[in-house]
Amino acid sequence: MSARPAARATARPRPGRLSPPALVGGLLLALVVLASLFAPLLVSSDPVKPSFSRRLAPPWGLGGSVAHPVGTDNLGRDILARMLHGGRISLALAAISVVIAGAVGIVVGLVAGSGGERVDAFFMRLADVQLALPVIMLAIAIVAVVGTSPAALVGVLALSGWVLYARTVRANVLTIRRLEYVEAAYTLGASDLRIIVRHILPNTLAPILVIGSSQFATMVLLESGLSFLGMGIQAPRPSWGLMLAEGRDYLSNAWWLATAPGIMISLVVLGANLLGDGLRDLLDPGLG
Amino acid sequence: MREKIRASRSFGRRRFITLGASGLAALSLPRAVRAQAARSGELVAGLSERMLTLDPANHYSISATSVHRHVFDPLVDVTNDSKFVPALAESWRAVNNLTWRFNLRRNVSFHDGTPFNADSAVFTIRRVRDNTKLIKSFVYQDIESVEKDGDYAVVVTSKRPFGSLPAHLSMLGMLPASAGRNEDAFFQKPVGTGPFRFTSWTHGDNIVLAANPSYWKPGIPKVEKVTFRFVPELSTRAAALRAGEIHVIDRVTPDLVETLKGSRGVKVFDVPAVEAQRWIFQLAKEPVKDQRLRQAISLAIDRNVIIKDLLLGYGRPVDSPVPPGLVGHTTLPLKPYDPEKARQILKQAGYANVTLDFVLMKDLYPKQLEITQAVAAMLGEVGIKVNIKNLEIATAREMRSAGTYDMFFSGWAHMPHDPDWYFGQWFTRAGSEKLTRYNNPRVEQLIAEGRVPDPKVRQAKYEELERILWDEEPEIWPYYSVAIYGVSDRLRNFEPRGDYYVLLSDVGIA
Amino acid sequence: MRAYVLRRLAQSALTLLGVSLLVFVVLRVLPGDPAKMLLPDGAPQSAVDELNRQLGLHEPLPVQYAIFIRSVVRGDFGQSFQYRAPALRVVTERIAATAELALAALVLTVAVGVSLGILAAVRRGTRYDYASTVLAVLGQSLPNFWLGIMLILLFGVALRWLPTSGFEGWRHVVLPAVTLAAFPTALVARLTRSSMLEILGRDFVRTGRAKGLAERAVVLRHALRNAAVPVLTVLGLQIGTLLGGAVITESVFAWPGMGKLVVDAIYFRDFPVVQTVLIFSATVFVVINLLVDLLYTVIDPRIRYS
Repeated sequence: MSARPAARATARPRPGRLSPPALVGGLLLALVVLASLFAPLLVSSDPVKPSFSRRLAPPWGLGGSVAHPVGTDNLGRDILARMLHGGRISLALAAISVVIAGAVGIVVGLVAGSGGERVDAFFMRLADVQLALPVIMLAIAIVAVVGTSPAALVGVLALSGWVLYARTVRANVLTIRRLEYVEAAYTLGASDLRIIVRHILPNTLAPILVIGSSQFATMVLLESGLSFLGMGIQAPRPSWGLMLAEGRDYLSNAWWLATAPGIMISLVVLGANLLGDGLRDLLDPGLG
Repeated sequence: MREKIRASRSFGRRRFITLGASGLAALSLPRAVRAQAARSGELVAGLSERMLTLDPANHYSISATSVHRHVFDPLVDVTNDSKFVPALAESWRAVNNLTWRFNLRRNVSFHDGTPFNADSAVFTIRRVRDNTKLIKSFVYQDIESVEKDGDYAVVVTSKRPFGSLPAHLSMLGMLPASAGRNEDAFFQKPVGTGPFRFTSWTHGDNIVLAANPSYWKPGIPKVEKVTFRFVPELSTRAAALRAGEIHVIDRVTPDLVETLKGSRGVKVFDVPAVEAQRWIFQLAKEPVKDQRLRQAISLAIDRNVIIKDLLLGYGRPVDSPVPPGLVGHTTLPLKPYDPEKARQILKQAGYANVTLDFVLMKDLYPKQLEITQAVAAMLGEVGIKVNIKNLEIATAREMRSAGTYDMFFSGWAHMPHDPDWYFGQWFTRAGSEKLTRYNNPRVEQLIAEGRVPDPKVRQAKYEELERILWDEEPEIWPYYSVAIYGVSDRLRNFEPRGDYYVLLSDVGIA
Repeated sequence: MRAYVLRRLAQSALTLLGVSLLVFVVLRVLPGDPAKMLLPDGAPQSAVDELNRQLGLHEPLPVQYAIFIRSVVRGDFGQSFQYRAPALRVVTERIAATAELALAALVLTVAVGVSLGILAAVRRGTRYDYASTVLAVLGQSLPNFWLGIMLILLFGVALRWLPTSGFEGWRHVVLPAVTLAAFPTALVARLTRSSMLEILGRDFVRTGRAKGLAERAVVLRHALRNAAVPVLTVLGLQIGTLLGGAVITESVFAWPGMGKLVVDAIYFRDFPVVQTVLIFSATVFVVINLLVDLLYTVIDPRIRYS
C-alpha cells in the first residue's frame, strides 16, 4: 500500500475482516431475529387475547409493572409479546420482499446497462410507467385479484422496490463498461457474461449491499403503510406495521404503543446498515 | 345599527383572534342595540371530514351539513333533542296524508339582497327532485308536485305518504331561484339567507365565511368570521386545539378526553349521539341465516364491557333500534350477556366449528378495529372463530353488495332525524336486496303504514315493527354512540350536538 | 447527443400514453364504483345505476378511453366525481402547496444529506461517522407519522414555536418539510458516504494526493463528482416520493398537497382526479429522470449516449 500523509486521523478497517461496527450490526440483527424466532419461549403473555382491564398500561419504569415491561396496548395485550411475535412476520415479509426485489432489480439493471440502447430504453420506460402508479393503487389492485394475504403484501413490496436496484446497477454498469480494462477485455474477445461476472458484478456489489440494507428498512416501513390500508396482515395477528397503525391515534396519551415497534424497526435498520457497510468494506476492490 | 362588512377576501392568511374594540364599546349601549352590535372575533373549527361540495342538495355528509347551515337556511331546523322547529318556514302542517303545507317567513333576504319567498322554495325542491345527478335526488322522487300558494306558502304533494318530508327538508338549504340560470357560476360564489356569507373555499382544506349583518334572527351571528378547517388526523386536530389555533374540534375519541381535559384552555363536552352502532348479518348466507346462530352471537357479546372498558363509558346501552329523541324510539328489554346460554344454543343447533368473516370499512369509525377484535375474542370464547377483514371502503361496499360476508360493521347516524329512511332501506325487500337481503312482509307493511304524517300513528307502527326486529335479531345494536367535542374555553354558548353537526351561529368568543 | 435527446422525448411521450392507459384501465378494474361512494349507504340500487350512467361509466372501456383522450387533448380532464368541479382546477389548486413542500424537503435532503455523507466519509471511523450513521438510521426507520406528530406535540403544543398544521405562512412548512425529508436525507447521506469512501480509495485520488493537492481540493473536485452518480439516481426517484408519496405527511399536517388528494381520490374512486394527478406527476417524473440521465453525462464524462 502507498504511503499516506501522517496527519490522517481516520481509521481504515483491515481488508479481509469485518469492522467492529459491522460486527455490532450483525449481532444486533441476529439478536432481533433470534428473539423473534423464539418469541413463545421468551414471553408468556398471549399477543392476541385482549384483556380489557389492563388497557394502555405504561412501560415498567414509567408507572407500569414488570409483568409488562413495555406496557400494554389499547386492548390490554402485552406489547413486548406483540413486538416479538410481530417481528417474525414483519422480518420474514421484509426479507423475502428484499430478496425478490433485489433479484429482479439486479437482473433488469444488468440487462439494461449492458444490453444496448433499445433494451435499456424499454426497461427504463417500463420502470417509469410502473412508478407513475402510486403504491396504494397497486396494492388495492393486487388485493382485488389475490385477496388479502401475505403473498399479496410481498408482491406489492417487491414491486415497489426493484426499480432502485435496477437503476443503480444500470448506472454502475454504464460507468464500468467504459473503463479501460473492461474495454480491453471486450477487445480481447471476452463474452458478455464473463465481463458481467468478472468485472461488473463485483463493482456493483457495494452499492447493492448498501441499498439492500436500506431497502430492508423500507420494506418494513412500507408494510406499515400497507397495513393502514388493510392489506396482508389482518388484526388481531401482530405485525410491526399493524402495531404502528394501531398506535397512531394514541400518540398523545399512550405514545409507547407506536414507539415500541418504531424502536424495533430502528434496531433492525441500524443492524442492517452497519452490517451492510461492513460487507461493502469487506468486498470493496478499491482496498485491494 | 348596521355595521359595514369590509369586502375583504381572505388570502388564506389567518388573522389572529383579537378582542374587538367594538365589543368593549358595545357593553355600554342599550341592550337591544347592544345585541346587534356585539359581533366580534373569529372562530376556527377543525372538522375531521372533508366537505366536498357547496350544494346543499348534492351530498349526504355531516360536515357539509354543518358548514352549509351557516350559509343557507332550510325551511325547518332540528334541535339537539331532535325536535323540528321553524327556520325559513314559520309553520307547517300535513293537510292530508299526501300533502304538506309550509307557511314561509317574511322579510328575509338572500345575501345579494333579493327577497326570499315561495319561488325560492319551489325552485329548490323541484330542482332536487328533477336533477337526478344530485345525490339527494332519490329521496324526493315521491314528490308529485310543488306549488306556491301566494308568495309565502308552498304546498307539496306526494305519490305516497311522506311523513318524513320536514325532516329531509331540515337538510336542504334554500337557494334563490336565480341560481337556476347558471348553476356552475352560482356555486362558485353561493348565496343563501344564512347567518354567514361565503368568502372563499379551498377544496378539501378550508372554507372561510363572513358574518351576514342583516340576518333575520336578531343578535346572530356573534362573530365576524368563521373558518372551517378540515383536519383528518385526530392527533393533529387535538394538537391544534391545545395550541390555541383551533377553537372546536369534533370526533374526539374517549381515550383523548383525559389529555384534553388536562390541557390549559381546553374543555371537553360530550352528548348522546343520534346514532346506533350496527353490525349487520348477511341474511341470505349460511350460517348466519339461522336465527339461532344470530341469537347465540348476540348472547356472547358483552356490550357493557365494550361501553365501559373500550368506550370508557362514552356509549349507552341500546333499548331499541331507533335512538332516543326520534319518532319510534321505545324501550325494549336490554339484550343480555349470557355466554353459557350461547354455548348451549350452539350445541343444540349443531354448530361446532363455525368461522365467520367480519368485514369493516377502514377508518370509518374510531376504535372500530379495537371493538371488533374484542368481539372476536368474545365469540372465540363460545367457540366461534372470527376472521377480521379491515378493507378500504369501496372494496368493502362491493363485498356487502355481493353478500360475501357474514357480519359487517355498518353504523347508522340518523341523518335526517327520522327513522323512515333507515327502515325503508334496510328492512324492505327492495331496499335490502343488495345489502342484507332482509325479507319480512309484516315488517314491510308496517314500514309503509309508518310513512304517514301523524306522529302518533308512526310511533305505534314503529314500535310494533321494532318488537319484531328485536326478536329476529337481523342486526346487532351494541350501543348508542356518544359525540365528544374538544372546545376552547374562550367560546361562549357552544352547544355540543348529538347529530355531530358543528353549528356556530350563536357562539361567541371571548 | 441531440439525437439521443430527441429519441428520449419521443419515448417520454409514449411513456405518458402508456401511463394514462394503465391508470385508466386499473381504475376501472378496481372493485367498487364511484356512484356507490358518492351516494350514502342507504341509497337504492336504482340511484346508483342512474348516477353511474350520468358519470359516463356505463360505456365500454375503449369508448370511455377514446372520449378521455379526446378531451385531454382539448385540455379538459373531466369533472371530479367528488367535488363536481373541473378535475384540472381541483389539481392545480394543490400545485403551490405540493411544490413548496417538495422543494423545501429537497433542499433539506441535499444540504443535510450530502453534508452528513461527506463528513462521515472523510472522518471515517471517528465519532462523527458513527453519529451520522445513527442519525441516518433514525431518519430511515422512524415512521413519518410518528415523527410528524411528535414534532407537532413538541414544537406546536409544548413550546408553541411553530404552528401545528395548515398551509399559510413560511413557518407552516418547516415541520412538514423536516418530516418529509427525514427518510430521503438518511438515504442520501448513506449513499454519499459509501460512494465517497469508494472513490477516496481509488487510484487517481491517491495520485492526486501524492501530487500534493490540498485534501479539500481532492475531495471536492474528484470524489464528489464521481460519487454524484448514485446520489443523483436516488434523488431522481425521491422526487416521485416527495411529490406523490407525501400522503402521510400531508395527512398529519393537514397540508393540501397532491399526495393526499390522489390517495383520497383513489379511495373515493374519483377517476378524473386520479387520472389528472397521475398524468401530471408522471410527466414531472419523466422530465426529471431525463434531466438526471443527462446530468450523468455532465458529471461523469465516461458515461456517454450515442
